[in-house]
Amino acid sequence: MDLAPDAGQAGRRWAARLAAVSIWLLPLLAIDPTTYLVLTVAGLAMGMLLFLTAAGLTVIFGLMDVLNLAHGAFFAWGAYAGFAVLNALNGLGWVETGTLGQGILSVLLALLAALAIGGVLGLFLERVIIQRVYGDHLKQILITMGASMVLAEVIKVLWSPNNQTVLVPLSFTGSYDIMDVVINKFRVVAIVVGLAVYAGVMAVMQKTKLGIIIRAGVENREVVQTLGYNINRIFTGVFMAGAALAAVGGSMWGIFREQITPAMGDENLIFALIVVIIGGMGSVTGSFLGACMVGLAFNYVAYLVPKLALGANILIMVVILFIKPWGLMGREQ
Amino acid sequence: MDLSVAAIPLMETKDLSVRFGGHTAVDRVSLVVEPFTLKSIIGPNGAGKTTLFNLISGQYRPSGGGIFFKGQDITALDPPGRTALGIGRSFQLTNIFPSLTVLENVRLALQSRENIGLNFWRHYGSLTHLEDQAYHFLELVLMAPRWAVPASTLTHGEQRKLEIAILLALEPELLLLDEPTAGMSLEEVPAILELIRQIKATGRRTILLVEHKFDMIMALSDSIAVLKEGRLICDDTPRAVAANPVVQEAYLGGGVKNA
Amino acid sequence: MTGREPTPVQMERLHQRSRRFTRPGFLIQLALLACLIAGPLVMPSFRVMDLVAKIMIFAVAVASFDIILGYTGIISFAHGMFFGLGAYSVALICHYSQPVQYHHLLLAGVLAALISTVVAVVISALSLRVKAIFFAMVTLAVAEFCHILGYQWSSLTKGEDGVSFKLPGVFSADWSGGALWGTQINGRLLVYYLILVVCALLFVGLVRFVRSPVGRVLKAIRDNEQRATALGYRVFRYRVLSTVFGSLVSSLCGALFAMWLSYVNPDTVLGTPLMLNILLMVIIGGLGTVYGGILGAAFIKIAETWLPDLQKLALSLFPKMELMHRLAERWILLFGILYILSVLFFPKGVVGTLRDQAEARRLRRLGRP
Repeated sequence: MDLAPDAGQAGRRWAARLAAVSIWLLPLLAIDPTTYLVLTVAGLAMGMLLFLTAAGLTVIFGLMDVLNLAHGAFFAWGAYAGFAVLNALNGLGWVETGTLGQGILSVLLALLAALAIGGVLGLFLERVIIQRVYGDHLKQILITMGASMVLAEVIKVLWSPNNQTVLVPLSFTGSYDIMDVVINKFRVVAIVVGLAVYAGVMAVMQKTKLGIIIRAGVENREVVQTLGYNINRIFTGVFMAGAALAAVGGSMWGIFREQITPAMGDENLIFALIVVIIGGMGSVTGSFLGACMVGLAFNYVAYLVPKLALGANILIMVVILFIKPWGLMGREQ
Repeated sequence: MDLSVAAIPLMETKDLSVRFGGHTAVDRVSLVVEPFTLKSIIGPNGAGKTTLFNLISGQYRPSGGGIFFKGQDITALDPPGRTALGIGRSFQLTNIFPSLTVLENVRLALQSRENIGLNFWRHYGSLTHLEDQAYHFLELVLMAPRWAVPASTLTHGEQRKLEIAILLALEPELLLLDEPTAGMSLEEVPAILELIRQIKATGRRTILLVEHKFDMIMALSDSIAVLKEGRLICDDTPRAVAANPVVQEAYLGGGVKNA
Repeated sequence: MTGREPTPVQMERLHQRSRRFTRPGFLIQLALLACLIAGPLVMPSFRVMDLVAKIMIFAVAVASFDIILGYTGIISFAHGMFFGLGAYSVALICHYSQPVQYHHLLLAGVLAALISTVVAVVISALSLRVKAIFFAMVTLAVAEFCHILGYQWSSLTKGEDGVSFKLPGVFSADWSGGALWGTQINGRLLVYYLILVVCALLFVGLVRFVRSPVGRVLKAIRDNEQRATALGYRVFRYRVLSTVFGSLVSSLCGALFAMWLSYVNPDTVLGTPLMLNILLMVIIGGLGTVYGGILGAAFIKIAETWLPDLQKLALSLFPKMELMHRLAERWILLFGILYILSVLFFPKGVVGTLRDQAEARRLRRLGRP
């Protein structure tokens, strides 16, 4: 139970924050500053894309009490939708050989397609399957796991079980070189998009009536119902939005890595789950912080000891579970 | 009976408080429960009765104050530990194991008392004495004919009786009954009250009862404590409580409108 | 109880005892055991023996998963991982000890049990403390980590190529010991019987577990956690105990599986498909039944064996349709759809449904609805 913070507690809290930030400077002992900066940018970019998946996952859990293990599948579908759009536009000569404007437009269209497919899949999944198992955690987990498997298999049927190479407009490949710090262009795009989405989600949550309802719902679902709002419609809307965000994240990931596989959804889900556990179930800001932590830790460790990159994240998760069992920003229930 | 002179009370709370966020749900409540008596706690909805119960049974941790059972400080003990000491509670919403049989519901309480729960090498078939005892407790609450059915098929009143049988099987010294007649139809209420009266008449158990229907517990109680907005405003014999002007204003006045 | 009429409870108990050895369930088990023992001697077909051995192993693995999922109401996505830990224990010890001897097998079994117990205790102590749903998330992450470790720690596990090894003495594939009633007695046959004995013992252990006081408390916790706590049961301990027990049995199943194949690789014993298979089997058989594991494992393993034939049939029917070809290749898709439909519309599984009918009969016999 949280007691009212007094001055001493506030001081300790700031000390803890300072310590938390300084931990991220530790890798500097083993990595030279230039590489460190490059890795930091890469880590933040990865973190932002993870955040896109984790944000939906955490809000869906907080509001609807649904752990959606099919969330990774939205990510993969978004990537494939973007891939398909870029392939089609390349047929028009827009992508590999197009002008800057055509390049930007085709990337935007790819993201839009991902957004749409994510929304549609989210609508379908929520209405057809998940609505039948509200309130039953066990069935939710079982059924979303099954849905995730089916969605990944359908990708293999429609495209191919093997890796695909994503065509990326020239203007988006390559990198900036700022005083020897090489920064991949698309990473900058990813960070900008991630920050914008975080700001947007926070604005919706804090400023709009819908946001107030959602926050109230995360606190106490019954309150929302008694206030007379159509809770089902809100659930569907939030689920679609979460799915769409994950899909956009997936399509950006595809463009960023220039390669996609049907298994990318599962891999992303693992990371997103770690992020959500670290950040605290239901907290958007927690997920944002968690995503940054996971992205950074992954990149630093991958540079130093490549095999331990995922292990390092699991270690962070375990440590956080030890110190704060409910996650960084999670509330005890 | 001259039990009121007993040296240590069976259960006692001292300045017990709990805060949720900024809201103080229970505010410095000091309550004394003497052995072998029936004390009722009343108060309007939201007065903190159930919260106080949750503190006594260990579901909530207090923000301040302490709880003592037979002179022992149990403030830091978890709910199973308190059950083992002899505090058994019922819940406001009926709380049984719906998919298990009626007999099994009671048998689990007996098994908990025998402390063989973590045994995984014995066959439950060898625990016949527990089954026989469980049946005996069902007979006590007149539920024996229903022993074989799943608890979910019982009527609401029967489920309440089953819950009391479960509680009795724990052989607690202190029974915490949270609105035992809540949600019951009018015909079912007298049977439950009669059951409580019988338990009290054995003279072997102490009962702490939460209720918000004042008239119901007037005849039953040895003493009545009145809660309002988390504070204890009165703790006396039923007659004195009924005559207390503060209570009349705070509870009876406001309560009638709500009821 | 002298001088008193026997209570209905006592009469029912006597009734159940009198037919202990004539219950259909008991007779079916006896017949099944007889078939498993006599099978390879009567009908020496390697394909059938291979199928039956795998069904036995998976039946026990699924039943042990059912202890965790069905009886305790916890989802562990690490059940496949524990299976893999057991399999790799056997594979690595047998591979790296030259020459391999009987005590190495014993050592591998003990190691599998030890590792899985420690890992299960750590995972469950960490995440079950918070909320059961955390357990699903944490196990998913840890299991994936182990899967990747299986690939990447190639100095030990040989990565993607997997580990092949020889079993000691009479279990070795090239050992041969004459013929018995016309059946060749060889290493494979002895491994089959070893699997049969160990699986039977493990299965009895699982059934005893759910019929022990712990099993009853687990059911109670699954039904109503708050009430169980108020009765004085420390829920957390029971959850940890059941999770550790189930995981331990899974690792032993993995050890047997490795012995049967004499080969392991990350995908077959650590990957997600294995976990999905176990999930599908437990759903089809019926949650919270233990015996459902046998039916679920049999159904899926038999289906897997015949699917390639079905696939060929489908292809010959639609020789031109590209999409049909791809669909036929992806039979996991069919399993996935079957799985979702089972969770939605057949949540009790085969054994669960049968049990409900038996329960209804029992209530009718006792004269009350």
